[in-house]
Amino acid sequence: MNSSRMDRFLIIITLVLLASGAAMVYSTSSVMAMKKFGDEYFFIRKHLVFSAAGLALLMISSRIPYRLYKNLAYPILVLAIVLLILVLVPGIGRHAGGARRWLRLGPVTFQPSEFAKLAVVIFLAYSLDVKKDRIRSFSVGFLPNMVIPGFIIALILAEPDLGTAATLSILTGVMSFIGGVRLKHLLSAAAVLAPVFYVVVTSFDYMMKRLAVFADPWKDPSGSGWQMVQSFLAFGSGGVWGAGLGEGKQKLFYLPEAHTDFIFSVIGEELGLVGVALIILLYCALLFGGVRVARRAKDLFGTYLALGLTLMLSLQAAVNMAVVMGALPPKGLPLPFISYGGSSLVMSMIAVGIILNVYMKGNKA
Amino acid sequence: MKKRRNGSDRAGLTKEPRDRLKSRIRFVFAVFIFSFGMIFLRAFQLQVVRGEALEAKAKLQHERTVKVPSKRGGIFDRNLEELAVTLEVDSVFAHPSMVEDPYRVSHALAPMLSVNRREVERRFAGESKFVWIKRQVDLSGEQRDAIKGIEGIGTVKENRRFYPGHPLAANLIGFTGVDSNGLEGVELHYDRYLKGEPITVKAERDATGRLLLFEDIRGPVRGMDVVLTIDKAIQYMTEKALKKAVDKYGAKAGVAVVMDPHTGEILAMANFPTFDPNDPRGHREDEWRNRAVTDMFEPGSTLKVFLLAAAIEEGIASPNDTFYCENGVYRVKGATFHDHDGKKYGWLSAGDIIKYSSNIGAAKIGERLGKRGLYRYLKSFGFGDLTGVDLPGEAQGMLAHPRKWSGVSVDTIAFGQGMSATSLQLVSAISAIANGGFLMQPHVVKGIRNPSGQPAGSMAEEFYPAIERRVVSEDTARSVTKVLTEVTKPGGTGEKAALGNGFEVAGKTGTAQKPDHQNGGYTADKYVSSFLGFVPAQNPKFAIMVALDEPRKEYYGGSVAAPVFREIAAEGLAYLGVFPRGALPENPPDVKTGIRTIEANRRHSVLDGGGDDGETNEVVSTAGTPSLTAIQPAVPDFTGKTVRTVMRIAKERALDVDVEGSGRAVEQTPLPGGAVPKDGGIRVVFE
Repeated sequence: MNSSRMDRFLIIITLVLLASGAAMVYSTSSVMAMKKFGDEYFFIRKHLVFSAAGLALLMISSRIPYRLYKNLAYPILVLAIVLLILVLVPGIGRHAGGARRWLRLGPVTFQPSEFAKLAVVIFLAYSLDVKKDRIRSFSVGFLPNMVIPGFIIALILAEPDLGTAATLSILTGVMSFIGGVRLKHLLSAAAVLAPVFYVVVTSFDYMMKRLAVFADPWKDPSGSGWQMVQSFLAFGSGGVWGAGLGEGKQKLFYLPEAHTDFIFSVIGEELGLVGVALIILLYCALLFGGVRVARRAKDLFGTYLALGLTLMLSLQAAVNMAVVMGALPPKGLPLPFISYGGSSLVMSMIAVGIILNVYMKGNKA
Repeated sequence: MKKRRNGSDRAGLTKEPRDRLKSRIRFVFAVFIFSFGMIFLRAFQLQVVRGEALEAKAKLQHERTVKVPSKRGGIFDRNLEELAVTLEVDSVFAHPSMVEDPYRVSHALAPMLSVNRREVERRFAGESKFVWIKRQVDLSGEQRDAIKGIEGIGTVKENRRFYPGHPLAANLIGFTGVDSNGLEGVELHYDRYLKGEPITVKAERDATGRLLLFEDIRGPVRGMDVVLTIDKAIQYMTEKALKKAVDKYGAKAGVAVVMDPHTGEILAMANFPTFDPNDPRGHREDEWRNRAVTDMFEPGSTLKVFLLAAAIEEGIASPNDTFYCENGVYRVKGATFHDHDGKKYGWLSAGDIIKYSSNIGAAKIGERLGKRGLYRYLKSFGFGDLTGVDLPGEAQGMLAHPRKWSGVSVDTIAFGQGMSATSLQLVSAISAIANGGFLMQPHVVKGIRNPSGQPAGSMAEEFYPAIERRVVSEDTARSVTKVLTEVTKPGGTGEKAALGNGFEVAGKTGTAQKPDHQNGGYTADKYVSSFLGFVPAQNPKFAIMVALDEPRKEYYGGSVAAPVFREIAAEGLAYLGVFPRGALPENPPDVKTGIRTIEANRRHSVLDGGGDDGETNEVVSTAGTPSLTAIQPAVPDFTGKTVRTVMRIAKERALDVDVEGSGRAVEQTPLPGGAVPKDGGIRVVFE
C-alpha cells in the first residue's frame, strides 16, 4: 500500500458491500438473536469480527505476490482435497442441516468448499496459463482442466452442497472458455455431463423436492414452498421504495435464513427496488473493476487469476439473487460480502485481496 | 473495457489467441451484465408488477384477525347488586406454523397451563393457522411474559364470567360457555342483550417478535346489563329456608318462588339441588335445571284455592255454604274418595273444606261447578298454558280439555289430581287472589341497562308489569283471602305458616301423592309437599310457593313446606321494613344491607289500589347502598344547596322545611340522614 497504489475503485466497492452487509445482518438477525440468545448483537458482533478478520486478510493477501500461487497451485489443490475428504469423515466434519460442510479449527468453523473454490480458481489460472500453447487440444487443454476441478466438485457434491458444486462447475466452464478451450469440447462436455447431472439430481430426494418447489412454490406455500413464498412476499412488500431499513416484517419469523442465504429478500423488503438495484449495480461494478484488473495484469496467470476470482464472486452473487427471486432452483449459497457467514466472507475478502495484488503488480510494471 | 496499455506484455500469446481472449472476456462480461439485468427485471416484476398482490398476501399473514367476544354485560339484582360479572383473564393461543419445536414448546406450556402435553403437541401439528391452547386461565405476569416469549405462542385478554354469589340464584341466572354465550337461565334468555357485538382484533408482530393485539377501531361494543326483579337478600333468605327444610326432611328436590303479587315480579326463585355456575361442568346436568319453571307436578290441595275462587265467582257457593263430606268415604262413578288421615267430616262449609282440606268436599264443589266451569277457571288462572316468563325451558303443565276428562276427573281435578302445574304457575295464580283478581305476567327482568349509555347506567329498556287478564272480581278475591287466612289459624292445616306477630297469612297446604308412572295410580310413599300463600293477607307483599319433592320422615305440606313459607315471609317482611301495626320499634332494626321497600316498585303497578288499609307501617332505614328502589335517606343533605333547590327537594319528598336566611344552606336540623321529626319540621339555615 505504501509502495504502490491500491485499486481504490475496487476497495471502495468492497467496503460499501461490506458495510451494506453489516447493516443488513444486524437488521435481519437482531430480533432472532434476541429470542434465541437473549442478545440482539449476537450475530452482528460475530459478523463484525469476521469482517475485521476479512479486512486484515484482504490486506495480507494483497501484499502476497500472486505469482507465488503459480508455484503453490498443486499444494493448495491437494490441501483443498484433503480438507474436503476430512469434512466427509464422520466425527470430524460437522453435521448441520442434513449435510457435512463444516470443519472445526479451534474456535472457528469453516467450510472447506469455500477454500476449494479458491483452490480451483488458482489451479485453473495456473493450468490455463501453462498449457496456453496446447489449449485447443483435447487431452492437454481440455481434459485436465475438467477432470481435476471435476474431482473437487464431486467431493463437494458428496457433502452434499449442490449450490457450490453447480457454481464451481459453471466457473470451471467459463474459465476454460476464456482460457481458450475449444467451445466444441466444452459443449460436448456439457452434453455428456447433463445426463450425469440429471441422474445425480434425481437420485437425491431433497434435490427433486427443491426442483418441484422451484417449478411451483405456491403449490405448497405452508410446507416445502414456504421459504420461496415468504421470499416473494418480502420482495412484494418492499415495492419500489421499501419499508425502510429495519422495518421489514418478513425477517421476523416468516423468512428462514433471513440473515444468511435469503438476506437479499430482506433487502428487497426494506430497501425496495431501489435498494435491490443499488446492490446489483455494486456487483456489476465489482465485476467491472475485477475484469479491468484482469485485462491490465502483467501476465496471463494474473489475468486468469483476477478474472477467475471476479467471476467467482459475481457468479455467486448472481446465483444467490436469482435463487431468492425464484429464477433458479433453490440452493444454499450466501450472498458474497453481505450474508452472515464467516467462511464465505473471509474467502471473498481474500479473493479481493488477491485481485488487488494482481492490480498492483500490473501497475508497477 | 478500456484500451489496453501498449506496454503490457502477454507472454507467449500470439495475435490470434490474444484476440480470442479479448473477445471471450468481453463475451463473458456481457453475459454477466445481462444476467444482472435479468435479475433486476425479475426484481421489478416481483416488487412493482406483482408488488401489491404480494404485499396484500404478506399483510394477511402479519396481521391476523381474531374475533373476540366483547365484554358481556352484567346481571344485577333489583338493587344493582352484582350477580354475574365479567372478568378479564388470559387465553393462550398458537400459530402452529411458527412453532419451531413443538416438543420443547409443549413441554414448556403444559405445566404452566395445566394442560395435557400430548394434546398441545397434537394441536401444533394441525393444519389450522390459529389454535387455542388454553382458554381463560389466570396467569401471573411472569408466566404471561414467558408465554409471549415463545415463538408462535401468544396470549389475548378474554372475558370470563364470574358469579360472585356462587350457587346463589344459580338455577335462575344460568351460566355461559367458554365463548361467553349464554347456555342456561337468564344468561341464555337474555343472551342477545348481554352478549354485545364481537370485537375483531388484529394481531401484528412488533420488533421483538411478540404478538400485539390491537382492538378494532370501532371500539368494543359492550353487552347490556340485565337488571333482575330478584332481590339478592330475599333470594338468599329463600334459599336458606328451602335448604334447611330439604336437609331436614331429606327431600329429593325443592323449589321456592317469591313473587310480588301486584307486579308479577319474581323476587326470589330458589332451587334444590343447585350448583355453582362458576363451574357448571362440575355438576350433573339435572342440577342446572330451574325446577320452578321446568318441572310440573300434581299440585294436590293447593288447587282447592282456585276451585273455591271459581265457585264464589260463579255464585254457586259462598264460603259459608255447606257441603256434605260423606263421613270420609265418598263413592262416585265407581271410584272411592277418602279424606286425608281417615278424617270423617260430615257437613262442612266451603270455607272449612279449604281450612281442613277435605278432598270429598272439594269434589262436591267441583261437581257443582261442573267440568266446563272448573276447566274455564283453571285455564283462566293460567293452568295448562305457558306463563310466558322470560326464562328458557318453561313447562306448560297439563290440563286436559274436559272432552277428554273421565267421569271422576271433575272430582279429582277439584283437589289437584289428574292435572299438573309448575311452581311458577301456582305462585302466579295465587298472586291473582292476593292482588284482587288479576293474573299478572311473571317476569324476572326489570330492565336492560346500557352501561355506556347516557346518562351513565340509565335503563335502556324497562319491563313494566303486565296484566294477563282479570280472573275473578275483587270481592271474590277478598272472600277467598278470608278463607285462606283461616287455614293458617290454629286448627287449620297450614298453622305452621303463621307468623304469629300480628301479620295474617293467607295460604293453602298441598300434600300430593306422586303418580306412579310404572304401575299407574299413585305411589304409596312419594309425595310433593307444598305450601302456597301470600303475606300480609290484607296488603300482600309476597306471594310464595314452596314445594318439596319426596320428603322423608314427614310429608304433610303443613309440616314440611309451611315452616319454609313462614321463615321466608318473616325474614322478607322484616327486610322490607314492613311491620305489623303497633309493632313499630323505637329504632329500626339494624339491617346491614339497608331496609328497602318494594312499595317503590308499586309505582309501576297498575294494581296500586290493592288496599293500603293502614294495616302496616313501613320503616325506612338510612343505611344501605343507593339503589333503584331504595327510598332516599329520611332527611337529605341540604348543605351547599340553594333555597330554591331545597324547596324543590322538600316538595318532592313531601318534607316540611323551615327556611331561615338566604343564599346557600350551611346548617340543618336534624342532621343529614336523621329521622324526619314527627312534627315534620326540618330547619335549614342559609347564608
